[in-house]
Amino acid sequence: MKKILLAVFGILALAFATLTPAFAQSKGTVYYLVPTLLDEFQTGSVSALEMFLKQVGYEMKTLNADNKTDAQQSQMNDVIALKPSAIILAAVDFNALKPSIEAARAAGIPVVEFDRQITSTPSDFTSVAGTVEIGQIAADQAEKLLKAKHGSVKGKILQVLGDPGDPYTLDIQKGFEEKMKAFPDVKIISVPAMQWAADAAGTIVNDQMLANPDIDLIFSHAAHLSVAAVASLEAAGKKPGDVMLMSSNGAPVGLDLIRKGWLNVEVEQPLYAQAAAVAMFMDKVVNKQEIKPGEYDVLGLKSTVTIEAWGPNIKIPGAAITKENVDNPAFWGNLKPPSGTVKPVE
Amino acid sequence: MNPRTRHALEFVLDNLVWFMLVFVLVVFSISIPNYFQLGIFANIIEASSVLGVMSIGLALVIITGHMDLSVESVAALSAMAVGILFCSAGIGLGVQLHPEWLMVPVSLLIALAVGGIIGAINGYLVVKVKMSAFIITLASYIWVRGLVLVISGGRSAQDLAPAIRWFGIQRLLGLPLTAWIAISCFVVFSLIMAKTPFGRHLVMIGGSETATFRAGIRVNRNLVIAFVLAGAIAGLAGWLLAIRTSGATANLGVGLLFNAFAAVVIGGVSLKGGVGTLPGVYAGVLLLSAINTAINLMGLPANFTQVIHGLLVLAAVLLDAFKQTIRQRLA
Repeated sequence: MKKILLAVFGILALAFATLTPAFAQSKGTVYYLVPTLLDEFQTGSVSALEMFLKQVGYEMKTLNADNKTDAQQSQMNDVIALKPSAIILAAVDFNALKPSIEAARAAGIPVVEFDRQITSTPSDFTSVAGTVEIGQIAADQAEKLLKAKHGSVKGKILQVLGDPGDPYTLDIQKGFEEKMKAFPDVKIISVPAMQWAADAAGTIVNDQMLANPDIDLIFSHAAHLSVAAVASLEAAGKKPGDVMLMSSNGAPVGLDLIRKGWLNVEVEQPLYAQAAAVAMFMDKVVNKQEIKPGEYDVLGLKSTVTIEAWGPNIKIPGAAITKENVDNPAFWGNLKPPSGTVKPVE
Repeated sequence: MNPRTRHALEFVLDNLVWFMLVFVLVVFSISIPNYFQLGIFANIIEASSVLGVMSIGLALVIITGHMDLSVESVAALSAMAVGILFCSAGIGLGVQLHPEWLMVPVSLLIALAVGGIIGAINGYLVVKVKMSAFIITLASYIWVRGLVLVISGGRSAQDLAPAIRWFGIQRLLGLPLTAWIAISCFVVFSLIMAKTPFGRHLVMIGGSETATFRAGIRVNRNLVIAFVLAGAIAGLAGWLLAIRTSGATANLGVGLLFNAFAAVVIGGVSLKGGVGTLPGVYAGVLLLSAINTAINLMGLPANFTQVIHGLLVLAAVLLDAFKQTIRQRLA
C-alpha cells in the first residue's frame, strides 16, 4: 500500500513538474486589469499584451472588471497585496482609480496605463492612441466625406455615442465636436447607445433616419454599433453608399463592413502597437529606470514619448482605414499579429 | 353609482395602461417635431419586439408569484448561438443548409432549445429542490452571460444568413415581420392565459399556491412549464435580437431585464403574483418604447430614459394602489 501511495505521489510530482512553466526564466508577473471583455478591442488587448510581454520575458495575468469601477478598485487592492512586477491598468473610470494607482506606487509597484490616459495622478508609463485624437481623426475624415459629397463641408451627421457614463466615448465626442466647430454648416445630432448595446444603436438609427432623412453621415463610436446601424439601414431599404458611415476602434466587423461597401472609414486604435510599446518599455518600468523622451519606432509606427505631468507618455498615431488600405495586415482588425518580436528599449 | 357608470369606471381601471399610452403618444405627437408620423409609430412597434417577447416569458413567471431574472442572459446566449452558427463574418461559422429556408426553423429551434434548457434547469431547482427563484435565476443571469462570453471569446458574430435576416427586412403593412412575430406571440399567449385551464392555473398558483394544490391542480408541473416557457420565449427574443442586429455581440441585450420588469409592472402585473394580463404588458412595452423614441428624437441625454423609466414604474405602482382603493369603494 505504501509503495502504491509513493508511486502515485511520484507520478503526481513528475506531472506537476512537467506541467508547471519554467518560471525561472521569467522576469516576473505583470497583472493586466482589463475594463471589460464584452468588447473586441479589449479582448484583443489581452492576447496582444500577453504575446508581447512574453517576448520580453514577463508572464501576464488578467483580471476583468466587467465595466465596474468598484470591482476594478477591489482588484487593484488585491493585486497590490500580491506584489507583482507591475500593474497594467486600462481603467473603467479614468479618475476613480487615482487612489488605487497611488496606493500601488506607494507600495513600490509600478503602474502602466494602457489605452486610457489618466492625467490626475502620475503613473510610471502610459501607452495610448489618444481617444480625443481618435475623435479628431474622425472629424478630418468627416470633413473629407462631406466635401466630396456636397462640394463644401456642410450637412448633417448622426453621432452614435457609446454609454454616456464611459469616459472613452466622451473623449472621442470631445475631439470630434471640437474639430467640427470649424464648420458651422454641419449639424451634429448626438445620441448615446446605453451600455454600448448594438440593438440600442439600431433603434437610434431607425428613429433618426425618419426624423432626419437628410442625414449624410453616421459616426458610431464602435464598429459593432455600425453593424447594427447597417442592419437598420438595410431594413429601411437602403443600399451601401446611400448613407455614409464611419466608426472608431478598428474591430474586425468594421473592416468587414468596409469591404462590403457600407462603411466609408474606420478610425483604428493601433492595438498591436499600443501593446508592443508597453512590452518595449516594461524593463525600464519594472527597474524604475529613466524613460527618455523622443521618437520611437513601434511596429513601424513613428511614436512619440513625452514626459508629462502624469509621467512618461507614448502616443501612437491612430489611422483611418478605408477601402484602399483595409487589407493592410498591420491593422489589428485583420487579426494577423505581427510576426516579428519586440525588443526591450535599451 | 349606476351600473353603466360602474362598468365604464371598471373598464378604465382595467385598461389604464392603454389610456396612459394614448395620452403619451398624443402629448409627444404635439410637442416633438417629426414624432407624429406612421414611420415613427412603426419604429415604436418594431423597437418593442424583442422587449415585448421577453416580457411575455417574464410575466408568465411573475403571475405565478415567482421571479425569472435570467431572461436577458438567456436571450443573449440564444442570439450568440444563432450568430455563431449562421453568421458568416466575425466568429460566425457560416453554416449553410439547403434549401436555404431550412435555416429559419433550425435556427429558431436552436434558440428555443437553448432557452428551454436553461428554463428547465431554473424550474427544476426552484420547484424540485425548493430553492428561491430569485436566487436561482439571479445565478443563471450571471452564469449564462458568462457562458456568452466564454463561447464568443468577447468577439462578435456578424452578417446573419440572408434567409434568417429576411424576417428583419421584409415588411407587412409597414412593419417588419419580427414585429408581427412579437404581436402574434402576445395574441397567442394572451389567449392561452385567458382561455385555457393552464393559463388560469398559473394565475391561481400566483394567488395561492397552497389553495391551488388543495384544489387538485398539479402546481409543480405547471410551475416547471412556466419556467421552461419563460426560457424558451427568452430564446425567441434572442433569435429576434440576432435578426435585428444581423448578428450577436457579447453585450447584446444588456439592460433588457430591467426594461422587461418595468414593462411588466407598468402593464399591471403584480409582483406578488396572481394578478395581470398580457395585453396590459404589451401596452407597458409600447409605452417604454414610445418614451425611448421620444428621447432619441429630442436628443436628450440617454440617462433621462432611466429616470423616466424609474418614475413610470413608481407611477404604475401608485396607480395600482389607487386602483385597488377605487375597486374597494366600488365593491
